[in-house]
Amino acid sequence: MRQSCSLLCLNTTMAVVWARLAFLAGIISLFHAGYSAAQHRAYMRITEQEYTSLPTDIGVQGLMSLLLTMYGILHIAGDFKEIRANVQLQNKSWETVGNRPTFYTFAHRGRALSPNYIPPKSKSLLDNIENISS
Amino acid sequence: MASLDLDWEEVREQLRAWREDNTRHSEEVIDMWEYCLKHYKHKLGDERWMVEEQVVVAGLDSYRLDIAEHSLVALNEQFPGSLRVRKLKGMRLEALERFDEAMDVYDSIIRQDETNSTARKRKVAVLRGQGRIADAIKELTEYLKIFMSDGEAWQELCDLYLKEGDYSKAAFCMEELILTNPHNHLYYTRYAEIKYTQGGLDNMEIARSYFCQAAKLNPGNVRALYGLFLSCTQVSSSTKCSAQKKKETQQLATWALKEIADRYSKCRTNAMDGSKILETFGSLSITEKA
Repeated sequence: MRQSCSLLCLNTTMAVVWARLAFLAGIISLFHAGYSAAQHRAYMRITEQEYTSLPTDIGVQGLMSLLLTMYGILHIAGDFKEIRANVQLQNKSWETVGNRPTFYTFAHRGRALSPNYIPPKSKSLLDNIENISS
Repeated sequence: MASLDLDWEEVREQLRAWREDNTRHSEEVIDMWEYCLKHYKHKLGDERWMVEEQVVVAGLDSYRLDIAEHSLVALNEQFPGSLRVRKLKGMRLEALERFDEAMDVYDSIIRQDETNSTARKRKVAVLRGQGRIADAIKELTEYLKIFMSDGEAWQELCDLYLKEGDYSKAAFCMEELILTNPHNHLYYTRYAEIKYTQGGLDNMEIARSYFCQAAKLNPGNVRALYGLFLSCTQVSSSTKCSAQKKKETQQLATWALKEIADRYSKCRTNAMDGSKILETFGSLSITEKA
């Protein structure tokens, strides 16, 4: 859903716009080639000629529109991911890989850096001395 | 209210990258939210709720409870009765150290939905936050009997066993993780470190071979190279080692040393001289009794 919305979204680069136009043109041309092939078949049947093979121009149009559509799709879909599994991990450290967000605990010393932190009241020395002497 | 002149779209991309990368940048998230993205929250669309959730967790982590509560109220209005929002309320109680109430909240979530794994994991986190490591281990092993393939839970169990000093069980947890991701050099490094810590010639040889594998998977893993050097010196200085094995191990140790020196010389500054490192390596070893 979000992908289709992003296709219609306005703030995109020129290269992506060209890729989308290429994709649309390729799809339309492909349909056109298919329709004209069907029309050719019907014409052959009406004029009672033998149907041997598709005329070359329709074949060429189909092939070129396929390549154009593929080019457009590749640019819309984004970069390929690296196929070797260990290359992605080369630059990662234990900090990111060993991070366990579902197990976060909040009772750590980082709390003291917050402006809202109130340090717990500690007993003063006088209290301790009074306890010992009594 | 102060507002930095940042491009809000870049900020949004950065937060999305952090969400997907699984990293912990709580203070930066809070700063970015407070000074930039908060004023554009209506432009975020569907992503707004994921960002709000991220802000709640970051706020609880850096003890900015006012910001966290603000976002939590917004989420509650949008998704009333949602279990995910209830879990966040439980996390807020944890941050306030009201652990019993947090436990009650998670129990109620589990009663309502038996298959909810995150509430069970939060219960373990509550026990860990209270410092009850043994109870946390018990709870986590119960969880793993049901949800056996949860990599994060195995990592957490390994960490809890390391806190207790139970190295053999921690090594078992790391073995499970290596089985799930056999191409991850960091798991091999950690496993080898646990084996090295356990000590003894067999464990040292296992550590040496796992450090080798980690260095093979990622030649940039300097920690594995250091570990390789240390475990090789330990094996070769052990009394039970045969002469031929000793020679091979020492060759491996010198190779590891050379690799480390290469790596340091590549990122050399004027202050650091690569040749001194080779001399100081001689003093780098951990002996059995201090």
